[in-house]
Amino acid sequence: MPDPPNLDELDDYLRGGSDVSCQYHRESSPAPPHALDRLVLEAAGSLKSKAPNKSQSLAPLAFAASVLLSLALVLAIVLAPQVKRPDSRPQVVRVRMFKSEPPRAALASPRERNPALWLEDINALRRAGRRAEADVEMRRFHSAYPDYIIPINE
Amino acid sequence: MDLQDDDAGLMLRYRDGDAAAFAALYAHYKGPLYRYLLRHVRNACAAADLFQEVWSHLIATRARYEPRAKFATFLFHIAHNCAIDFFRRDLHRRPAMAAHYSDSSLPEPEVPEHQRPDRVAEFVEQQSALLAAVTALPQEQREAFLLREETGLSVEEIARITDVPVETAKSRLRYAVRKLKNSLRPMQEPEELRLRTYA
Repeated sequence: MPDPPNLDELDDYLRGGSDVSCQYHRESSPAPPHALDRLVLEAAGSLKSKAPNKSQSLAPLAFAASVLLSLALVLAIVLAPQVKRPDSRPQVVRVRMFKSEPPRAALASPRERNPALWLEDINALRRAGRRAEADVEMRRFHSAYPDYIIPINE
Repeated sequence: MDLQDDDAGLMLRYRDGDAAAFAALYAHYKGPLYRYLLRHVRNACAAADLFQEVWSHLIATRARYEPRAKFATFLFHIAHNCAIDFFRRDLHRRPAMAAHYSDSSLPEPEVPEHQRPDRVAEFVEQQSALLAAVTALPQEQREAFLLREETGLSVEEIARITDVPVETAKSRLRYAVRKLKNSLRPMQEPEELRLRTYA
């Protein structure tokens, strides 16, 4: 290793008065090829390139639209006439109930006008093993006399 | 240290999404960075690759950027690390190639690509005496000189970029300047510089 050069030489160089610096900067100054420029700039722009910039420029407009829509929705709720909403619960069907006998037209036969006789017929069907028919008749009976209390033995 | 340099401000703007700020930074630093890499690694293709790598790194990590130093220090520290990686890769590639070939068929001795005499000579032939002398400098001295000339950074900042004590950076620069001064002397034997290239 040679002896360290004179310190003044370095100081002179660092002050910028050196021939070396002057000569270096007189040399040709190669620059990166244009293709390289394009690659780098595209890479830098692609992160926040055209599409994001466009969305950035539209951001205030989108925000304003959101505010207007929200305001309109609130006003519609507050100022709209109070319409009774249909009840979503199961509706109770009001049916007409007959305390005594149903209207004549509602009955199919004379026996059906008498609930006791009708029940006898239904029991006869059940005893004969015609249970399906007995059940149909019983449902008809309940429709015709919904408040009729059927004796336990029936 | 003035951390409020304009370039750091541009980088902060770029970090926050201003693509135009990057274009301004790129326009300012592309020449110095390219020349630093080209004259440091002494290979145009490698320099182009490294150039792209440096900017890609900066772009990829911009979200974490904090102006703890001058922007030039930040940028050239990335460049220094990329160049170091390049030299290491180049050094490791050769033994791998050597293992692949038998001793008799080994195409070249185990010399890094950038130090191969034919490649260096080819690079030197295209340059002036001074640039040839720069090319012939030892790697660390060459880097210190190129950083100083291309960025105008202080010795302290060069030390920071190259991760060495200030005195080491100063010493490298001192030797580099002395050798380059000698290269400018008319009586200097050009052959002597050429021989140093292969030493």
